[in-house]
Amino acid sequence: MASRTSRRSFISTGLSAGLLAPLAGATPAIGLLKPLDDPAPPNSPVKLTYKTLGRTGLKVTSVGFGCMITSDPSVVERAVDLGINYFDTARGYQNGNNERMVGAALGAKRKQIVLSTKSHAPDKAGMMLHLDQSLRELNTDYIDIWYLHGKDTPDQVPDELIEGQQLAKQQGKIRFAGVSTHSGQQQIVPWMVKKNVFDVVLAAYNFTMDASMDQAIDAAAKAGVGVVAMKVMAGGFRGLKPGNPLSQKLAQPGALLAALKWVVNKPGVATTVPSMTGMDQLDENLQAMQSPLSTGDRQILAAHLEQIGPLYCRMCGQCDGACKQGLPVADVLRCLTYADGYGQFALARERYLELAQAPGARCADCSACTVQCPHGVHVAARMTRAQELLS
Amino acid sequence: MRAPALFLSLLLIPATAGAQDYLNCRFAPGWEQSGAIRQYVSGNLYDYKDGGAEGYLAYGFVRMTGIDCKSGANTLQIDVSEMADPDAAYGIFSANLDPAQPVARIGMGGQVQPQSASFAKGDYYVEIVEVAADPSANDTAMLQALAAKIESRLDGRVTPPEPLQWFPQQDLASVRMVPESVLGLRQLQRGFVAKYRQGQAFIVVEASPESAAAVLKALREHFAGASPAQIGDEAFEVKVPYLEGLCIFRKGRILAGYSNLPDASQAAIAAAKLAAYIP
Repeated sequence: MASRTSRRSFISTGLSAGLLAPLAGATPAIGLLKPLDDPAPPNSPVKLTYKTLGRTGLKVTSVGFGCMITSDPSVVERAVDLGINYFDTARGYQNGNNERMVGAALGAKRKQIVLSTKSHAPDKAGMMLHLDQSLRELNTDYIDIWYLHGKDTPDQVPDELIEGQQLAKQQGKIRFAGVSTHSGQQQIVPWMVKKNVFDVVLAAYNFTMDASMDQAIDAAAKAGVGVVAMKVMAGGFRGLKPGNPLSQKLAQPGALLAALKWVVNKPGVATTVPSMTGMDQLDENLQAMQSPLSTGDRQILAAHLEQIGPLYCRMCGQCDGACKQGLPVADVLRCLTYADGYGQFALARERYLELAQAPGARCADCSACTVQCPHGVHVAARMTRAQELLS
Repeated sequence: MRAPALFLSLLLIPATAGAQDYLNCRFAPGWEQSGAIRQYVSGNLYDYKDGGAEGYLAYGFVRMTGIDCKSGANTLQIDVSEMADPDAAYGIFSANLDPAQPVARIGMGGQVQPQSASFAKGDYYVEIVEVAADPSANDTAMLQALAAKIESRLDGRVTPPEPLQWFPQQDLASVRMVPESVLGLRQLQRGFVAKYRQGQAFIVVEASPESAAAVLKALREHFAGASPAQIGDEAFEVKVPYLEGLCIFRKGRILAGYSNLPDASQAAIAAAKLAAYIP
């Protein structure tokens, strides 16, 4: 049964009790392959922590490297030399140019690291074509982990895609099969565990998410599915308008590092793939392996959640059916975020008008709101604003 | 709150009308619209582009409007993204183009292949992708004509960003606009990078000579062992890991230079040639 504990109370509990999450090594290792004996580079000037990536047996640094928006290969090269050993790209990033950059940057060091890429092809023929293109652009003869890209529901993973991954394994073109998911974790991660054909999941996972996400991630890890976390810094904030409170909060000194540490310290997560475009970001992110999540870090994250709490719907679904007038609360609040958070009134109004709602239903008609958000969103006030602004 | 709502509804009308002007499946004979016009903003682009959304966001993505068109079993996906400014639109175009294929004269620049086309014009970045029943279909001519019709209905600049003209053409392999951390250096926030057979050149246009001087000073302090060079208004050269032979100079409000050459003196020679092209 899903816990009703909110992320905010979880962080607060951690603060008051002085609890620290277990560090590296807590993930159960179900080794089918012999891991590298000593994955650490001999002369790395930074302290690195390693975890086992589920049943793959691969020892990966708990901070990896998301190459998606990296432009200069020098950043990738330096990350390899400093000892980061997990690198992630995708066929679709910059139309293949990102894979080309990563391949050139890794060069002869490719075999020192764990390399993952992804295919967004909808069918087996397309994905096999993608795989050959990826191998060529990455200048390698095998991919360590090959993800089906951006699958949020089980019906987006037809059998032919699974067959394609298995075929690629048999051909020796990939070592392990995975799925990446942005928004359907609570549905697709348990399905992946049950399906028992996937070795790794790359999932959006960060400190703003509901406690039920912890359970999905931990269950996957316990079943031997390696967990790689993305959007660890509450991804998507890059797109917020300047001045938006969400982006302002994450721009505070230490906030991004605290968010990264939060994920690094989760026992079920083997590694993470924060995007890095520059040397400074690389140095900052490496700090997440230098020290555990501190009380100060928890305070930063708790303050962040406290401030965004009244505004920011996390789409956890716990308010489904709670409005006695039948209003789709989460959907309405998402529309309002388009307007308030992103300044896109046209889209907000269009999506709002598309929602199936009881005609004439208004929050102002109720003397008290029946919806209580576990994350502290001021539902009645936000719904009223949406109705005034978008109706 | 009624007045703001009315004001907002008035704002919606021209936006929708504009999309209808440039998004029309019948620009390509035999094609019909399938489904409604789609719209995305930075907050929900992940719903459509998955992780690839971050690439758009890095280039100042504002909104995307798109349609699907059908002709028999074939589908065209047309997406028009509005970016922060023309340089950003050119930037995402340059990041996505295939450097092995020729650039077409569409807007600021375009590329047409057998089953896809893309171009940038003004603030807009346009992508057309055909999902053909026959994977070997070659619809280059149709896509070229369709791109031209869409381009004619979009307003905005048709000349590529000016700094691109300043890169020496000899041995030039590719050019692109980098939205942040040029050469992986946070101080160089946004600029243009040209890859050559050996080494790479870059150009960053700062707001003023004073801000450019401040950035150059910070970089010189960042690289221990940097020595002065006689290029532009001020310059330094250094050899460092990863960027190898590096020379950076300032000319007015422009910062530019060369990296990844075998030693600093070679970088300085190449940078001096680049400086001669910069007005």
